Amino acid sequence: MSGIQFNSVSKLYQQGENQVLALDDVSLTVEQGEFIAVIGPSGSGKSTFLAIAGALLQSSKGEVILNGKSLNQLNPKDLARLRLEEIGFILQTSNLVPYLNVLEQLLVVKKMAGKVTKEDKENAKELLENLGLAVKLKKLPDQLSGGERQRTAIARAFINNPSIILADEPTASLDSKRAHEVVQLIARETKARNKAAIMVTHDERLLEYCDQVYRMEDGRLKLDQSFEMKTVSSRG
Amino acid sequence: MFLALKELKHGKLRFLMIGVITVLIAWLVFILSGLGNGLSTLSAATFKNMDAHYVTFEEGSRASMSRSLLNESLAAELEKANDVSAATGMGATMGTVLKESASADKEKVDVAILGITPGNFLEPDVIEGKPLEANEPLEVIANDTLKKKGFKFGDTLKIEGSLEKMKIVGFVENETYNHLPAIFTTLDKWRTIQFAAPGSDKGIKNPVNAIMMQGENIDSEKLNKFFKDTETVTKSTAVQGMPGYKEENGTIMMMLAFLLAISTFVLGVFFYVLTLQKSNQFGILKAIGASNRFLGKAIVAQVFLLSFVSIVVGILLTYGTALILPDGMPFSLDFKLVIIYSLLLLVISILSSVISVRKVTKIDPLQAIGRLE
Repeated sequence: MSGIQFNSVSKLYQQGENQVLALDDVSLTVEQGEFIAVIGPSGSGKSTFLAIAGALLQSSKGEVILNGKSLNQLNPKDLARLRLEEIGFILQTSNLVPYLNVLEQLLVVKKMAGKVTKEDKENAKELLENLGLAVKLKKLPDQLSGGERQRTAIARAFINNPSIILADEPTASLDSKRAHEVVQLIARETKARNKAAIMVTHDERLLEYCDQVYRMEDGRLKLDQSFEMKTVSSRG
Repeated sequence: MFLALKELKHGKLRFLMIGVITVLIAWLVFILSGLGNGLSTLSAATFKNMDAHYVTFEEGSRASMSRSLLNESLAAELEKANDVSAATGMGATMGTVLKESASADKEKVDVAILGITPGNFLEPDVIEGKPLEANEPLEVIANDTLKKKGFKFGDTLKIEGSLEKMKIVGFVENETYNHLPAIFTTLDKWRTIQFAAPGSDKGIKNPVNAIMMQGENIDSEKLNKFFKDTETVTKSTAVQGMPGYKEENGTIMMMLAFLLAISTFVLGVFFYVLTLQKSNQFGILKAIGASNRFLGKAIVAQVFLLSFVSIVVGILLTYGTALILPDGMPFSLDFKLVIIYSLLLLVISILSSVISVRKVTKIDPLQAIGRLE
């Protein structure tokens, strides 16, 4: 199965003498072409969830299966490789490398995997054009607006053709017009390229672009039926 | 290399500053090595140039010509020993000479007067004039630096504090002894100068200061045992025994060692601070899939590029400096030494980046996610 699957995943943190259950028996399947959102108050375990989905943390219990592969038994080196090949991260703004221009932000990802071919360069350009950055290819991050920066980050997430896209508060520092644009773009690219995408956010205005919305509370993940209804009706 | 170059281009000012520091360090390292080389040449060029392998001194002289006195006949005996292919006596004395015609004292020059047997392996080739002859006791060959002091081919010299005279019949080059230009003369002539005072030869017949020997496989221990009251050492030990040689070299080596140590730390700290500053950025790169290897390589490449360029600039500056240094300055750059120190600096700067690389491997990509509850 492609996409990502959580099978009864739990995460325990040791904090001094207390144990904190950050994720409590989370099960979830996101198929290819599906864009889901995870919302919840801070401290609810959203970030832990994202870190485990992104192969940055390993679960204490349960299993995460990414594109048919279990993440449980991998060592840090394999995890880095997996992040490079299978996962596209869209992080909060200004997480671009400050001294690389827009095109190079994408090429550096290709560099991590080996050589940059002419084809890679063309792909990167096309991707950036798709996201409306055709005239900004040679700009450095500090010459871009917040929205442009985030669009660059989206392009960077897609450049390696990963199987899953993970977005961590992608609209955190954007005004609502830009925020809508950005989430719309993520949704559009996810559909067009047939990826599984998970967005962690607390911005409830943006949920209309998602196929399903899950709510996280005290480490437990629940499908939020009300949002599903809304999306269906808005579609219908 | 990609990240390294891009960042170097982006942060020109900060990398320029550390580049300037590295250039200055490299420059100083090369100048010191040139000075060290120049001084040791001045101190012992004659010893270093001569085609001998071992030197026999009087026992207890601690490899110093000035403390040693031997009978010249010992040379013939040593020559018969195993592995000794040739042996010959040599004498050295410091003196002050002036032209016979000179009237003013300011034309006096300090020289080293070296007594050798004309025609044997101790006699350097002349670059001008003719070599020494056994039956011409007046004739000497002198180092060409004396020319700059106003001495010419055919000049007759007076030796201060002595009635002896010498006539320059040839010039040799790069022959300095005990920091002074060397004048080569016959052993007999040397003896009349050195042992003018009665009893100063301690009753030794045909005295010499040391006996130089050819033969690479000479067993010095055996010679020490067999020939009483002598000690045989390698030529390099004899060079170390030159007055002031060890002290001069030691000082310069100490300065070089400190410089290299300082540069290790300066570069190490600089790159470490830069790495700390960028740890968030490295975390993000790791989150999106950069391996430790990839980031480590970027740091090492950056240090390598920066040091390489700085060292090349340092070499150019050093050769530029050499052009404007005053003539009398004992400065001689040995290209081989320059290359060795360049490589050493390069290795040191790369070693200094190890701590930064270590730091990078410890950065947790999780910090890219930020506020982890």
